[in-house]
Amino acid sequence: MLLIRCPVCAMDRPELEFRHAGQAHVARPADPGAVDDAAWAAYLYLRDNPKGVVAERWRHVHGCGRFFNALRHTVSDRILATYPAGASRPEVAP
Amino acid sequence: MSATEPHPWLAGALVPGRFGAAAGEPVRLGTRACELVQVLARRDGDAALQAAIRAAGGPDLPPPGHAAQGERMAALWTQPRGWLIQAGPDAGLARRLADACGPAAAVVEQTHGRCVFTLEGAHARAVLARLCRVDLHPRAFGPGRVAVTPLSEIAAVIHQTGAAPGFDIIVASSYARAVAGMLAAAAAPIGYQVGGDQMGGDQMGGDQMGGDRVD
Repeated sequence: MLLIRCPVCAMDRPELEFRHAGQAHVARPADPGAVDDAAWAAYLYLRDNPKGVVAERWRHVHGCGRFFNALRHTVSDRILATYPAGASRPEVAP
Repeated sequence: MSATEPHPWLAGALVPGRFGAAAGEPVRLGTRACELVQVLARRDGDAALQAAIRAAGGPDLPPPGHAAQGERMAALWTQPRGWLIQAGPDAGLARRLADACGPAAAVVEQTHGRCVFTLEGAHARAVLARLCRVDLHPRAFGPGRVAVTPLSEIAAVIHQTGAAPGFDIIVASSYARAVAGMLAAAAAPIGYQVGGDQMGGDQMGGDQMGGDRVD
């Protein structure tokens, strides 16, 4: 069981209260009409799958209901940091 | 149905008496008659909401994970820019707050939408820990703290009201009967007491927030 710190509730909560919501910091093209199909498909479907630290969106669905971002190591499954949605990715040692 | 009547969903669910393990100090299990109102600040309405709550005899709205007791009502943080306001029964809270807040906040009457259980006694923490995963140790939680968390699998607001320890457990009324059974099952190995010293068909336990006991 992962304990995840919700940055809104400011408490450590069990993983069961959260939903994973995909890769964080995926920027939507500012003018979707101007990008070609390949770029749009890349925005919609292509995601990183690294071995190491990933930035992910999580939602505290059974608590405050808010989305936030988390840095998780895909090998150890350890949550290294959580931070509010919209904030830039913090620097952490993996 | 006035605010001082017990929830009909609970009829027969909590019968006065002592149940479960017979030895040792029991936890006290009951319900609290009170009015509950959900307030959600609208865009740019935070300051006006705070002013309205304070003018109505309420506290400074507490930060995440906390509750605050005011002169005439308590406020429990439940979500960003959203609080549950709790006052004694028949306080006419929803109407007063709706008038006071105006367009600054959404004010939703929850008195009959939620049910407030009370769980008190030296072993209350152990009972609650069987049902929820929040760290209830005094170093992490304490009087005046609030957690919005599933109780077993039912959404609940847990509010520590006293150092005894005492907890208010606020759930949707439609789940009240299930939660009453869950709390009773979790408390049975320790033993639990429903109702006060007098056993006059009064299904309330614990003290009341500025209101009369429910008869």
